[in-house]
Amino acid sequence: MGIINIGLIIILLISNLELEARPISYSGGSTLMAFSDNMRDSVYFHYSPSYKYSIGIESINDKFFDDKYSYMRFTYLLNRKNTQDSQRNLYFQSGFGANGLDKHFIGVHGDWETRRIFAGFGFKRILNKKEDFNDGYVQIGVAPYLGEYGDLHTWIMLKSKKDSLMDKWSTFPVLKFFKGNFLIELGYNEATEWDTHIMYRF
Amino acid sequence: MKILTIILSTFVFSISMADQSIDHSHHDNHEGHIHEQMVDGKHLEVDAIRFDNFIIDLSDTQIAVVSVKGMVCDFCARGIEKTFKKDRDVRKIDVDLRGGKVLIAYDKNKQISFDEIRKMILANGQDATDLQVLSI
Repeated sequence: MGIINIGLIIILLISNLELEARPISYSGGSTLMAFSDNMRDSVYFHYSPSYKYSIGIESINDKFFDDKYSYMRFTYLLNRKNTQDSQRNLYFQSGFGANGLDKHFIGVHGDWETRRIFAGFGFKRILNKKEDFNDGYVQIGVAPYLGEYGDLHTWIMLKSKKDSLMDKWSTFPVLKFFKGNFLIELGYNEATEWDTHIMYRF
Repeated sequence: MKILTIILSTFVFSISMADQSIDHSHHDNHEGHIHEQMVDGKHLEVDAIRFDNFIIDLSDTQIAVVSVKGMVCDFCARGIEKTFKKDRDVRKIDVDLRGGKVLIAYDKNKQISFDEIRKMILANGQDATDLQVLSI
């Protein structure tokens, strides 16, 4: 039985959850993120003048193309639905090369979460002079316990992603922890190795 | 194998945290406490222990109990605390994720406005739906 199957069984056995790495902060808030996987390393800082949009800059070390560049990024909240027990979001994302339009991307990101369950997806179309490609993922998760405000919160998740530069989907378990303003997400797959995401919200 | 170990460790850790979470829900007898008061003809809709802990060091204060929709994540509710703490009239704030409530302690002379609170909650992306205020 593979790791993925074991992860799925654990998720099905446990019935709790909560989460996520929002691409827009509260009005006047800012966020610093660091991300790393087999394709790239990046550091991204964004500021949100309003809860509806954020502007930021992302510095990328592109491992696949052996290149380093930066994006000026803009994210807009297209739709949000708040209920007593859940929140659903749909975002538009874009990035333009800091040195011109030879590199840019557009995409959408969506999520739905309760305190117990999370489901999200993202899709980006990246254009550059070397080779255009798509980057997509889906992610589901369960919180094994419901922490109170200020507690350490834990999520057990399953993420599946595909970069069109690669041939197939990569699916792997992810652990997410956050406490206060700090969040860390760790995923591992034998083929794509570590998938890590660290975030601090100011 | 390393991943399996990590997942199982997280599972065990989570079970222990779940036990602590259950402990949070044990309510003592709080009859006669402030949270038993009627506000505008309605019972105060708060977690008794959480409310009592919130007001334990407060006096000459107005407590605003705000009902909020969409407040499902600790990390995402952080902005509410940060936004309200910028208000000089706010002495203390607490977020009750389970009950969907925000407790705000204001100076007793503050003219509390639901519209103002609603806008501050909306600045964090959530919707305030109700407000109850009591003085202690």
